[in-house]
Amino acid sequence: MNVLQIAVDGILLGGVLALSALGFNVIFGVMRVVNLAHGDFVVLAAVFSAWAFAQLGINPLLLLPLTVAVGFVAGALIHRFLLRRLPPEVSSAEAASLTLTFGLSYFLIGLGMIVFGGRFVSVPYLTGAFHLGGIAISQARLLAFVVAVVLSLIFAYVLRTTLLGRAIRATSQNLEGALACGIDVDRVRTLAFAIGTAVATAAGTLMSFVASLNAGQGVAFTVNAFAVVVIGGLGNYTGAIVGALILGLTESFASYVLGATLAEAAPYVLFILVLLVAPAGILGRRTA
Amino acid sequence: MRRPLPIALAVVAIALLVLAPLALNGYVINLLYTTLLSVALAYGWNLISGYAGYFSFGQIAFFGLGAYATGLLVKDLNWEWVLAALAGGGVACALAVPLGYVMLRLRGPFFAMGMFGMAQLVRVLVTALPASGAGAGLYLSPDFNVADAYYWTLAIAVGAIALTFWVDRSAFGLRLQALREDEQVAGTLGVDVTRAKMAAFTLSALIPGLLGGGYALFLTYIEPDAVFSSRLDLQSIVMAILGGVGTVWGPLVGGVVMTQISEALWARFPEIYLMIFGGLLVVLLLLLPRGIVPALSKLLAERRR
Repeated sequence: MNVLQIAVDGILLGGVLALSALGFNVIFGVMRVVNLAHGDFVVLAAVFSAWAFAQLGINPLLLLPLTVAVGFVAGALIHRFLLRRLPPEVSSAEAASLTLTFGLSYFLIGLGMIVFGGRFVSVPYLTGAFHLGGIAISQARLLAFVVAVVLSLIFAYVLRTTLLGRAIRATSQNLEGALACGIDVDRVRTLAFAIGTAVATAAGTLMSFVASLNAGQGVAFTVNAFAVVVIGGLGNYTGAIVGALILGLTESFASYVLGATLAEAAPYVLFILVLLVAPAGILGRRTA
Repeated sequence: MRRPLPIALAVVAIALLVLAPLALNGYVINLLYTTLLSVALAYGWNLISGYAGYFSFGQIAFFGLGAYATGLLVKDLNWEWVLAALAGGGVACALAVPLGYVMLRLRGPFFAMGMFGMAQLVRVLVTALPASGAGAGLYLSPDFNVADAYYWTLAIAVGAIALTFWVDRSAFGLRLQALREDEQVAGTLGVDVTRAKMAAFTLSALIPGLLGGGYALFLTYIEPDAVFSSRLDLQSIVMAILGGVGTVWGPLVGGVVMTQISEALWARFPEIYLMIFGGLLVVLLLLLPRGIVPALSKLLAERRR
């Protein structure tokens, strides 16, 4: 395998990781909640998509609007009826939201195991590859990458230009300021959690043609999203995309150079180093 | 302050737990062992995260290291298991000092996830070491007595409660609580913040480090996923939170309640266990967000008025 091949694989993986991390990031940015159930939404959507493809023969790209809609509604409901009811005082809020999303994570894993079983599944879709000068580009990975990039651009557009996007960014940057401007912060939070979850489920559907998963694999995606967001800077959306590419490349090279066992440690080494050397992320803009 | 009733209750409880292996069957002893282990782990976590406010997701690293250190010393060097388990606690502290020096500069979710990553890193490195069976696991001779692991864990659990009882009333505990509320203000008031954090971090590494040796004995087979189990880690955190973070009795109450619920669910509904456990956790958290112990003491205080 040559270096270019490894780099291409890493970048294609990074695209989907970036999308997943954007969802994690918007929730952390607006609510200061580290959503431990994030990866479980990714995985549930992936397992559901594989199930729908195998049982009903539905093209997973057509499923995207459905998984996004379900993720959006589920996220909104979870914020309205669970997270919002936690006590408001600052000292225990972090602990309470971590515990709540941890419980939610268990719930989703259990639900997924009951409904879809424990088998590892994927969508056998576009299994061929393009060959370009000695490099094989998996069609499924390329498709997942392209769709992830398109969705990320839509996300960025919504965040930059719409009123809701500006309200989300304002709330991330300064809660009191946002309140003083008359932003309905409570509504923004519900929408942010809904959007974050919808983005996670979209990433999950795309993951279903890249990786073989079962409902218990969510933790890896939560950790990946956290690593990406730490590398890029919490609440920094451009940084998250750069961070995802760095993580994708690191994982790809590490598994080639170090072997599968040690490569597992690569994302952790990366994010601990970044935390210690540049706690505000590699782009260095402190928004948190 | 003399309070004869609580002291008498504590003595009776400890005496019953000491006598338990003589009278009860294997299943109940296993259940008691699991409960004691969870309670002691929750107390270890409570020191750094409850009192000092540094929320850690990585204390399981010290537990796993203690287990592996004990296993290797017993198997390869023929140490007495008690000495080996003590050495496991020593190894955990030896790692905690440099690690704390670096990691305690991080705060909030950065520290929490940094410690999570650190625990995964330690797991991967230990798994890759040829001496530790390189992931295939480490078999210990199975002729250890389960009662040994039980008594060891009981002693550490009682020690951890006594330690917390002291911390709660000491100047050290006040320093920790001060830096939890506002680290900068605590510093300007003359609290040696770094030293207090380091002490709390080392103590909360010592407890799982010592427990790891007992767990190695209990399992007689050590493998990375069993002793670096992030589920075990997170369960003990949940117990401390449900009981009441930063309280003396919270981890005990939370640990006893959660272990029983968890075991009962596992016995009756194994296939929907995870879902119910997760759902129950969310419901309990919404009903009792500050934990059982603070809720009870508030109730008692209102009664008295």
